[in-house]
Amino acid sequence: MFERALNAFWIVLGAAAAAYAWTLGIVGPSGPESGLFPFIAALIILGAGMVLTMMPSEGATAFRFARGAALSRVLGVVGGLALMAVALPYLGFAVAGAITMLILLRAVERVSWTGSLVLAVVSVVVVSWLFGHVLGMALPRGPWGW
Amino acid sequence: MDALASLATGFSVILTPENLYFCLLGSLIGTLVGVLPGVGPLAAMALLLPITFTLTPVAGMVMLASIFYGAMFGGSTTSVLLNIPGEAASVVTCIDGHQMARQGRAGAALGIAAIGSFIAGTLGVVAMTFFAPAISAVAIRFGPPENFALMVLGLVCTLYMISGSPVKGALMIALGFLGAAIGIDVVNGQERFTFGSINLTGGLDLLAVVIGLFGVTEILANVEQHARGSLIAERIRNLWPTFADWRASWRPIVRGSGLGFILGLVPGGGPVTASFMSYAVEKRLADAPERFGKGAIEGVAGPESANNAAVAGSMIPILSLGIPGNPVTALLVGALIIHGIQPGPLFMTQRPDLFWGIVASMYVGSVFLLVLNLPLVGIWAQLLRVPYHILFPIVLLLCVVGTYSANKNVFDLWIMLGFGVAGHVLRKLEYDLAPFVIAFVLAPLMEQSLRQSLVMSPDGAMILGQRPVTALLLAASAFLVGLMFRRKRERVPQ
Repeated sequence: MFERALNAFWIVLGAAAAAYAWTLGIVGPSGPESGLFPFIAALIILGAGMVLTMMPSEGATAFRFARGAALSRVLGVVGGLALMAVALPYLGFAVAGAITMLILLRAVERVSWTGSLVLAVVSVVVVSWLFGHVLGMALPRGPWGW
Repeated sequence: MDALASLATGFSVILTPENLYFCLLGSLIGTLVGVLPGVGPLAAMALLLPITFTLTPVAGMVMLASIFYGAMFGGSTTSVLLNIPGEAASVVTCIDGHQMARQGRAGAALGIAAIGSFIAGTLGVVAMTFFAPAISAVAIRFGPPENFALMVLGLVCTLYMISGSPVKGALMIALGFLGAAIGIDVVNGQERFTFGSINLTGGLDLLAVVIGLFGVTEILANVEQHARGSLIAERIRNLWPTFADWRASWRPIVRGSGLGFILGLVPGGGPVTASFMSYAVEKRLADAPERFGKGAIEGVAGPESANNAAVAGSMIPILSLGIPGNPVTALLVGALIIHGIQPGPLFMTQRPDLFWGIVASMYVGSVFLLVLNLPLVGIWAQLLRVPYHILFPIVLLLCVVGTYSANKNVFDLWIMLGFGVAGHVLRKLEYDLAPFVIAFVLAPLMEQSLRQSLVMSPDGAMILGQRPVTALLLAASAFLVGLMFRRKRERVPQ
């Protein structure tokens, strides 16, 4: 079911991209235009989507959603990363990183509070020191200056 | 002789304290990411790419290249001791390597893996020294139509070599083209697929895409499976193989070196394919194939040699043609472009210091890796005691730092997350992610070549059939596509 939906998505994506690329221009008086290459790519996507739709679904490729604890762990990682992306500009790398680590260790891997706290702080300090000081990368800082 | 003189120049470039330091650092990091399961060389190179912006191109590229071949060395440690491959090219080493460890022969397995890797890596670099200039000398005469046809052939070879469906592979290539088209068209300044977003005008960042597809996706797969391995924790001793081990291994090492080098040259080949092919060849040639899977040393010597020789082989297309054959070399091409260097036939003449410096660094790196992997194998084995639940949040933190530090733009983190989730779903549906990255890197060059070809010809697309080399390359592509369909038809009745 999911695979069929994805194949339909490829067809829609290919058709939409081809239509958009057409508006950019394919070939003009001075030669190929901006839309030519994406137009070809979009046609391949559209064609491949159609072929995949017509092909019989193989049991081996049937999509299996993660369930139960496995799903929680996957969503925990995705949620942690999303939280980090939202919090980074406001809280800076150190605080956003520590909070994300804490969530990942507690919610995803069920590490004890003490263990999670120690690991989160140590990892963030080491990564900040290594990348921020030793390698001279500018990591985002929070309103408190770090 | 020219090659030897140029190689001497390469050694004069690499034998400086700074370049040696970065070669050693890359070898160390490569071994580390090879040893640690769930962190591949591609993700590591992508994470460290921003660091190279502050280095000279030679130091930066030497470090990235040494991470690549270092990971091939280190990958065997995890396969042998933990039965979990440290990286994809070491999957096959698990089969006999771990069985040897269970029989108390972990030292012999790790020893022959390291020595075989060293011999194959060195033989591969020797072959590369002579092959790369010869290929460059031919390719330098290529114009835009030939370059376009060559890239088409490279992508078709990639499709031919991937294990999954070629239709899905073609779709991933087209998605890579479409992804690379996002942003401003450099020819006429027209915005494409940006939908008014200022964040998309610069296009999708290569690092965000690669870290998402190969770093985050790998983490998601590992946390979902909650994989655990059983570490063979005995003290590792008797690393030097016995006479019997040597007698059984020397032929697989030589065969693996040759096979790996050739498969490395082919786009879509590379270390992973080379190791599997070598295992299949050794099993077929063995007097007693039933020993395979039960601790046959040939099953370690051949594949480990093959994956290292493939690294040298896969460097040739990028250094002499500018065409990557796998995602790791695609990232190396991306890194060179970020440094303002266009890899291709002119690369060797325009930047001989960099070209021969990279080649020479591979000789030096092989020696570093032998030293790092034989006497220090016990230390690497101790690293395997770090539980994955502690490792993955740290890797995730590094993914964020690596992605953010390239452009200092939080939007790239969303791109990374989006590609990570999409990669996870697509991998479950048996879509190979490698063609996407290769196409994503090749697309700007390919589009430029196509547009230049069409502009220079009064007959439009007919130019692709009128020039003999172009026609030959496209005919070879068509032949391979025909073979793919035939292979598919032959499979269906079964």
